[in-house]
Amino acid sequence: MSIEVISMLVLFGLFFALLMYGVPVAYSIGISTTASLLLNIDTLPGITTVAQRMTTGIDSFSLLAIPFFVLAGELMKRGGIANRLILFAKSLIGSLPGGLGYVNVLAAMLFGAVSGSAVAAASAIGSIMTEPMEDEGYPRPFSAAINIPSSTTGLLIPPSNVLIIYALASGGAASVAALFIAGYLPGLLMGLALILVVAITAIRTKLPKSKRSKFSEIFTHFRRSFFSLMLLVLVVGGIVAGIFTATEAAAIAVLYALILALVYKGITITDIPNILLASAKTTAIVMFLICTSMAMSWLFSFEGIPQAITSYMLNEFSNPIVIFLIINLTLLIVGTFMDMTPAILIFTPIFLPVVTELGMHPVHFGIMMVLNLCIGLCTPPVGTILFVGSGVANISVSDVVKPLFPFLIAMVIVLLMITYIPAISMWLPNLFGLN
Amino acid sequence: MRYIYLKLNKFIELFLVIIFGLLVLDVLMQVGSRYILGKSFSFTEEFARFSLIWLSILGAAYLNGQREHLSMDFLYRKFSKEKQVTATKITEVLIAIFSLVVMVIGGFNLVYITLHLGQLSPALHLPLGYVYMIVPISGLIIIFYAIYNISIANHSIKANIK
Repeated sequence: MSIEVISMLVLFGLFFALLMYGVPVAYSIGISTTASLLLNIDTLPGITTVAQRMTTGIDSFSLLAIPFFVLAGELMKRGGIANRLILFAKSLIGSLPGGLGYVNVLAAMLFGAVSGSAVAAASAIGSIMTEPMEDEGYPRPFSAAINIPSSTTGLLIPPSNVLIIYALASGGAASVAALFIAGYLPGLLMGLALILVVAITAIRTKLPKSKRSKFSEIFTHFRRSFFSLMLLVLVVGGIVAGIFTATEAAAIAVLYALILALVYKGITITDIPNILLASAKTTAIVMFLICTSMAMSWLFSFEGIPQAITSYMLNEFSNPIVIFLIINLTLLIVGTFMDMTPAILIFTPIFLPVVTELGMHPVHFGIMMVLNLCIGLCTPPVGTILFVGSGVANISVSDVVKPLFPFLIAMVIVLLMITYIPAISMWLPNLFGLN
Repeated sequence: MRYIYLKLNKFIELFLVIIFGLLVLDVLMQVGSRYILGKSFSFTEEFARFSLIWLSILGAAYLNGQREHLSMDFLYRKFSKEKQVTATKITEVLIAIFSLVVMVIGGFNLVYITLHLGQLSPALHLPLGYVYMIVPISGLIIIFYAIYNISIANHSIKANIK
């Protein structure tokens, strides 16, 4: 066997072994990368290169958007913004059969979009919605099953940290602005698909409806959540119009969310150090994963892995439809046990050359990949959102799996539509002339 | 040892909060100055990038002390208490070796080379070696936390505290 094959076997074998044993993901990536690299080059230059890649890999102004969106999300989570969004959603669609189910989907989408975090959406919306839904006769596992997939839609609807990470991983092939605007329709489509599943269940099991809201009530709740929703317009509008960069927009979102949270009296000035520390911790988790993943993806290109996989796949399966299917299946499997950030950073450099060779736009691939990995966030054994969602509903993960199943099917159908109909992702960016 | 652990935590927490706060103010200043004064300062972007490196790598070291790094624990949770103690100790040893080899030795060599080449950042004229210094420093902190975590592994897992 050649040294390249051996070092690849070491890389992947060691990585999965460490991962399964419970070594933190970032360290599993770092240790296997270092071990594999040292088979090829001398020790001191090797370890210096890893240290250098880890540092220069995060030396980027666009990555700064991540800590800011994390901080803005934390401020919104504590600032009473979730409750206002729920009341607004309820006044709009609460009066339909299964009304609170739709409210949960819509509120999780809105909060996921403004906060940019699926975990924040699942915990904030789930902890508020579970009790009232149970009072109206929704079984707890069912409301958790609605909340969990809905919370991930916010990862597609901008602003979204994972799309920024994808832009970085694509090496500039896809711009943040194009990805942001491309995410709207797929995000909405996924929300609609989830609402459809709620509707079918609601009609079959005769779920209750709330009383119809008067127009004046809708208007009141719209006014009360107006400034939270304006954040979306301000941030995304500013980026797409080219007024400020994603990072600057994120810093403005922090200022905006801080003022809202203080005005709504959700937090006081003395809470700020704690909020900063909590956000610094979340940031460090993501950023350190990026550090070691950047070292690993550098090793990939050093070894020529992306080219090898591209030529292998193009020779072996000539049909693009089959190749897209294989990539999707691989990502679905990866997504069930790997978190979204490392999965994007590791698999983008591997698969992006294949799909661009077949004519798929990098923006389209990014949307497909994020949506695909969203499914993994909701499935056992390692779905972050699955655990958060069942945690806030106070039920065990195994209870949620059965009611969750129809929602997962709906997500897979949406994934296939996104994969094979490029226009869903590309129509809006093309319309705005963004690539 | 517990005394040093707690003091170190407090110190890093304070440091992280200050860097993060400065980072927000710095970028807001960049946007503000561009729209109000019509020009932006050349150093804000560089300062922000360097603070992000410090925030990320020092923050990662701090997370080791809290054992809050993301990991796949579905096999770990099936282990018996005794096996969990062993697995925790092995994990911490692996982390310590990685930190020693890559972050302390590799990182120190990186700092040495960059200082030796005399690379300066364009706007702040800061030797880049100082920015990279956070890598070996954090490496040492991670090794300390690993030793601490090993020393308390027996007690904390059996007593079921994190």
